[in-house]
Amino acid sequence: MAQWVRREDERLLTGKGRYVADIDVPGCLDAAFVRSEVAHGLLQAVDCTAARDVPGVVGAWSAADLPDLPRVPYTLLAGLSTEDAVAGREWPALVKDRVRYPGEALAVVLGEDRYRAEDGAAEVTSTIDPLPAVVTPSAALDDCVRLFDGLSNIALRGESGEPIDPSVWQDAAAVVEARYRQQLLMPSPMECRTILAVPEGDRLTVWSGHQMPHRLRRELAALLGWPTDRIRVVVPDTGGAFGSKSAAFPEFVVVAHLAVKLGRPVRWIEDRLESMLVATRGRGQDQTVRLAADAEGRLLAYELTIDADIGAYPHLGAGLPMQTAWMATGAYTTPRVHATLRSVLTNTMVTYPYRGAGRPEAAIAIERTMDLLARRLGLDPIELRRRNFIPLDAFPYETPTGRRYDSGNYAAALDLALETLGYEKWRAEQARRREDPDALPLGIGVSCYVERSGGEPGGLHEFGSLEVHEDGTVTARCGAAPSGQGHETVFPALVAKALGIPEAQVRLVEGDTDEQPEGLGSFASRSAQVAGAMLQHAATLLIDEARTRAAELWDLPVDEVQWADGTVHAAHDGSAATSLGDLVKTTGPLRVEDRYAAGMAFPFGAHAAVTEVDPDLGTVNVLRLVAVDDCGVVLNPTMVHGQAFGSAVQGIGQALYEGMTFHDDGVPHLASGFLDYLLPTFTEIPPIDIRDTRTPSPTTPLGAKGAGESGCIGTPAAIVNAVADALRIADPDLLQMPLTPDSVWRAARASRHQEGVR
Amino acid sequence: MKITLTVNGAEHALDVEPRRLLADVLRDDLRLTGTHLGCEHGICGACTVLMDGEAVRACLVLAVQCDGSSVRTVEGLTGPDGEPHPLQRAFSAEHALQCGFCTPGFLMAAAGALEADPDLADNPEAIAAVVGSNICRCTGYEPIRRAITRAAQEQRETTV
Repeated sequence: MAQWVRREDERLLTGKGRYVADIDVPGCLDAAFVRSEVAHGLLQAVDCTAARDVPGVVGAWSAADLPDLPRVPYTLLAGLSTEDAVAGREWPALVKDRVRYPGEALAVVLGEDRYRAEDGAAEVTSTIDPLPAVVTPSAALDDCVRLFDGLSNIALRGESGEPIDPSVWQDAAAVVEARYRQQLLMPSPMECRTILAVPEGDRLTVWSGHQMPHRLRRELAALLGWPTDRIRVVVPDTGGAFGSKSAAFPEFVVVAHLAVKLGRPVRWIEDRLESMLVATRGRGQDQTVRLAADAEGRLLAYELTIDADIGAYPHLGAGLPMQTAWMATGAYTTPRVHATLRSVLTNTMVTYPYRGAGRPEAAIAIERTMDLLARRLGLDPIELRRRNFIPLDAFPYETPTGRRYDSGNYAAALDLALETLGYEKWRAEQARRREDPDALPLGIGVSCYVERSGGEPGGLHEFGSLEVHEDGTVTARCGAAPSGQGHETVFPALVAKALGIPEAQVRLVEGDTDEQPEGLGSFASRSAQVAGAMLQHAATLLIDEARTRAAELWDLPVDEVQWADGTVHAAHDGSAATSLGDLVKTTGPLRVEDRYAAGMAFPFGAHAAVTEVDPDLGTVNVLRLVAVDDCGVVLNPTMVHGQAFGSAVQGIGQALYEGMTFHDDGVPHLASGFLDYLLPTFTEIPPIDIRDTRTPSPTTPLGAKGAGESGCIGTPAAIVNAVADALRIADPDLLQMPLTPDSVWRAARASRHQEGVR
Repeated sequence: MKITLTVNGAEHALDVEPRRLLADVLRDDLRLTGTHLGCEHGICGACTVLMDGEAVRACLVLAVQCDGSSVRTVEGLTGPDGEPHPLQRAFSAEHALQCGFCTPGFLMAAAGALEADPDLADNPEAIAAVVGSNICRCTGYEPIRRAITRAAQEQRETTV
């Protein structure tokens, strides 16, 4: 194994990985969905007759053909949404009478393979009377076009903090205002969504690339009306998730229903164009901000107003903007912070967590506004931040928006970022270029973020166990479900260290609800923080149990039995000693299990970017990016570094390249797939330095906070601030992500024009 | 349509529908599931395999176009004695994979480049072009660049 850095690597590098689409089940049928080509409309008819005559097609169904088809389960997870938001707004798994987003499934065809299924899907006909489509919150807000008759498009209103007295704004030395668009993004894991449902006796085994196998089991059991133990969910290798693979999607409902109905294995392997049309989107907020400070640059008040685009049905995305509201305060001691939100239904596929999930929207808003305020006050943006950071001795810190930050050292992260970047050197270069008419303008931007990891109250725990075998090896089980984070390597190392035994003696079992009966999963950057802490806790239980057994065996008081390096021994003279394996041989099976709850943790960091902008071409060249992240105690520096790097690149994607755009009829511009929706490639990657500071979380003995979402949260504002700095743009509304050449060119021209007018 | 396909040195006589993609024939007919489909429109490169030594997108090639050709997939990278290919070792050493879904495509694109140019290590731009030809959503690419460079350097050292 020495030649492989991770235990996962050998199989993934030799073609022996096993993703859902790789699993060969004899007689398995492939599902293909017939999708609406309109964004909004009344469904008059679906005719599957011709499809059923296509060779190799086993069946074709519309909603009318499947009266027992359950609806898509909604979720009130983590208190992020409410019953009111979903009441009367049922999400049918196949369209019943009204299409509410482009690509919504009208029918399903099962074939002997995907080719046959698609042959059949091509023969399904439908009649839809189009309705006007609304694809932005601003278009949907006035309820001129309603998605649900008789119900407002506003599915949820929320707030954090207290309303700010008008006198605060009136009396402040400086007040800045801005509007920001957090564009809709596609999470785009390289493996699209997958489900394979295999009926076996009175049980159903479901294979899926998924972040929350136990939730999927629970939701599928509920919709089938089965006890959960009749369903086994297995998560094999999963090709990325980034928040987008934790629900029971409409297609999953249909596949599970048909597998049970037909008593045959059925799978749906989403293809990319399908995914681009109907996979969940992230972000999607229109924000208005107001920030006030006194003459010395001390922040007085901050107000954030959010109109969130939550898509066509209220799901988890309805409540996600609350995350933004709770995190609105950022890294500063602002005494008054108030965030309000409206979650607005639009004719798009639902908004859902995407790496960062509500925190990037908060960090980008406050961090862009800090630069705006610095410009207004004539202060260096670094100095403005330093004057307002929550100081080291103020933790735990209660924010006005209801968060209790566990620990932080924001100034240290910023110092390291500036030192790594060579801040003064770049400022000098900027000054030089400003004197040189032939030089392209250069800008420096920073973004000091604080985020939340682990989950929300009620979802901060994880389940797991440790089992010792007679040969002394240990099997660790837990409810997490990785999609590339290397759990098989990291968690055995953690357990081995806690027990003082070689890593090779520990193996991890995850992602199988028959192996691990309860679990929460991998989301909200929680696996190291929560599942890691749970496994460390289980190791202490195991040690206690081993000492107790040895004490009984040797007829000694427990406190005279010690644990060291995987063995128990008598404290007084060490004469009696036994290894774990021998202890099991002597005393019988040894297994400890528990539920362990952590607290919310608040990772933070400082990102700094240097950009060069060509005002005539509108191009942005990122010359350097530094990301300093603090996720507390780091379990595996290589893997945390790798995630931070990849996350920063996704942050670059939001800043410069990615974003959904729509035709007037509400259908996305996606005809050319990844040629329309631009993910960063190697060509776009600047020199990136990843550094870390390590401020342990006091909420668990392990001290780890969540890692991996940092770049999506910290990087975008650093880049946008750098572009604004390069172009000296006074009006922040001119720069909306993604900063495409077109938008930058327009901003540069408008900025010059404004300067000319002044 | 009857075709003959040599895959990783083994000859297969196949009867395939003319419309079937090479990727589907490799995955479904030959059960070589190491070749992954990431976009099915030729952009992401996860399905990259070598066809007569040239890197091709297996989602853009029909199996019948490969009649008489020799195809190499990720399953054929490991040496006959089970010894990992230098690229496989380098990808692990540089942490150039996380979820692993795009990895076979990068490996095969890099393998094609390495075999075509023994001095690839001296040509960072050519390495950059290989890395820039595919999409990875986890790593941010730089570890992949380092891994290919490492394998290229190793190749040069062993051939000198």
